[in-house]
Amino acid sequence: MGHQYQAIQWNKGKVQYDIAIVTFAVIYIAIFMAVGLMAFATSDPIVLMIRALGTCAFLLLTFILLIGPLARISDRFKPMLYNRRHFGVFTFLVALAHFGLALTWYHGFGPLNPLVSLFLSNQSGGTFPGFPFELLGLAAFIILLLMAATSHDFWLNNLSAPVWKALHMLVYVAYGLLVIHIAAGALVTEKSPVYPVLVIAAFGLVSGLHLITGLREAKNDALLNKMEAKSWVSVAAPNDIPDKRAVIVPLPGGERVAVFRDGKKISAVTNVCRHQNGPLGEGRIIDGCVTCPWHGWQYRMEDGISPPPFTEKIATYNLKMMNGMVFLNPDANAPGTYVDPLVIGQTAEQRS
Amino acid sequence: MKRAGSILIPRPHREDDFFIGWAKPPAVDRRFLLGAVPTIAAFSGGLGWLVANELADPGAGSWQTSSTHTVTGQLVRDPYPMIRSVDPNGNYKTTLVVAMGKCTSSLELAMAAGGVHTGTGVLIERRGRHMLEVPFDDAAWLSPAPTNVTIPDVVSEVVIESISLQGMIMDTKCFFGVMRPGRGKTHKACASLCIRGGIPPSFWAHTKDGREVVMLLTDENGNAVSTDILPFVAEAVEAEGSVVRSGDWLQFRVATSKYRLI
Ligand code: FES
Repeated sequence: MGHQYQAIQWNKGKVQYDIAIVTFAVIYIAIFMAVGLMAFATSDPIVLMIRALGTCAFLLLTFILLIGPLARISDRFKPMLYNRRHFGVFTFLVALAHFGLALTWYHGFGPLNPLVSLFLSNQSGGTFPGFPFELLGLAAFIILLLMAATSHDFWLNNLSAPVWKALHMLVYVAYGLLVIHIAAGALVTEKSPVYPVLVIAAFGLVSGLHLITGLREAKNDALLNKMEAKSWVSVAAPNDIPDKRAVIVPLPGGERVAVFRDGKKISAVTNVCRHQNGPLGEGRIIDGCVTCPWHGWQYRMEDGISPPPFTEKIATYNLKMMNGMVFLNPDANAPGTYVDPLVIGQTAEQRS
Repeated sequence: MKRAGSILIPRPHREDDFFIGWAKPPAVDRRFLLGAVPTIAAFSGGLGWLVANELADPGAGSWQTSSTHTVTGQLVRDPYPMIRSVDPNGNYKTTLVVAMGKCTSSLELAMAAGGVHTGTGVLIERRGRHMLEVPFDDAAWLSPAPTNVTIPDVVSEVVIESISLQGMIMDTKCFFGVMRPGRGKTHKACASLCIRGGIPPSFWAHTKDGREVVMLLTDENGNAVSTDILPFVAEAVEAEGSVVRSGDWLQFRVATSKYRLI
């Protein structure tokens, strides 16, 4: 569905989403500045702004990383997943402002180029309290920069989905770097116990939720993979597949297949969406098409091809009916291969 | 997701309960978002308040950029640029001189040093101690003083021959009010950049009863420090040296080898 590229894709939902995130950030920064300036007469607005922007970017990134596992726990968070890309780019912009202001204020106006100063000016690296926390921030910033720069579908297609995915998994590295950036910088300067508590809470929440959802899936997959591979895998009785929806069949190799039922017709396609690897099997049939739960890309059930004018293709699988059960051939067909759907109540002879 | 035999069954959702980005969100999602958005907004505001409210006192000091300050006295170049004046009671008053930005060592001062002048610049002030921020070009801030002003030479006297003190090396410009806070780990790089640029360092220590002591930091001979002290800047250090009174300032004279991180 993305055969044409636009600079930025917006629709009403995305605009509302974007307004909401920007509003949250503005509220955070405005209140931070007001409280900071009122607390002490000598507060420096620029130093305060550096801190407001830095903490805001960390907060936004924490939110972003929470959305994934939350959406696995409850469908209600799925709308937040939908426009995470704009959320990410906005977070990068806040991080950019923090980076730019800190670089100018702390490293500018001096005898060294600010970027050189960034590497040279913090010279007691050996000890933890002396660790040059600035460089960790810089490394995280570069990751966010790469992600923001390649966030567009153009890159997704040109880098290929696995490379793109791997690149974007670096966000977890960036998050870890930021936690240390804060621990070795701000937390050494500011003594209030509230700060370590907040950072640990954020980090704990992100890693805890990922761990819980990850373990749950790993357990499911492990149990299923124990069942040995046969040439044909039994799926379910036709009517046990909910209408307009799918069941997911994990194959021993780790792939997953989504077996959909639309009324009397049953077809199988890969569980992996061409767009961003969304779980198709958690989607629905809408207008006769498999519809991805993440961003709504669609594929025809019988051949895995997006309806015109789109041309995206996903792999299909062969099914057969035996003893009232649907069986799946675990060898995938080439993406876009037409396969006759199984029709409930039709015998093999009638089909041929 | 539920496991049933060898298959996974995605969590069931009602007919109108399926979010697609390009379609109008189902009612249950809209209701959830209507509650979630204000909750997150309130949470963001609360966090902003909490995080800002816990910040430590940035400390004393001011940078009076909206007015100019004028001081008349003897222009001294070493160990650091300063103007030394005398009040009607005969007390010395030192005004340190720094350039705009962090490159004080590029101040010219060559022609003027030693003479009595009037300097005009931006005042940086911390607890009664003064610093004047001026442009690089002498002519832009120095003018001849009235001829009747004379400044007696300062006689430096050793107060303590040898002492070991714990404290922190500060870049005096930020410390006196250009950055608030102008101390701590997050300011360390800036402090070291300032000192590299020739801004006078000071040693900030506290007596047992909690009074703060601020001394001008020099090498063991009373000259400007070298960049070898940079690794010790803005860290808790112990330093061993002599304390010398020079006008209204104390100098702490420490050899580079006599610093230790603590
Ligand atoms: S992953 Fe984006 S639509 Fe499927």
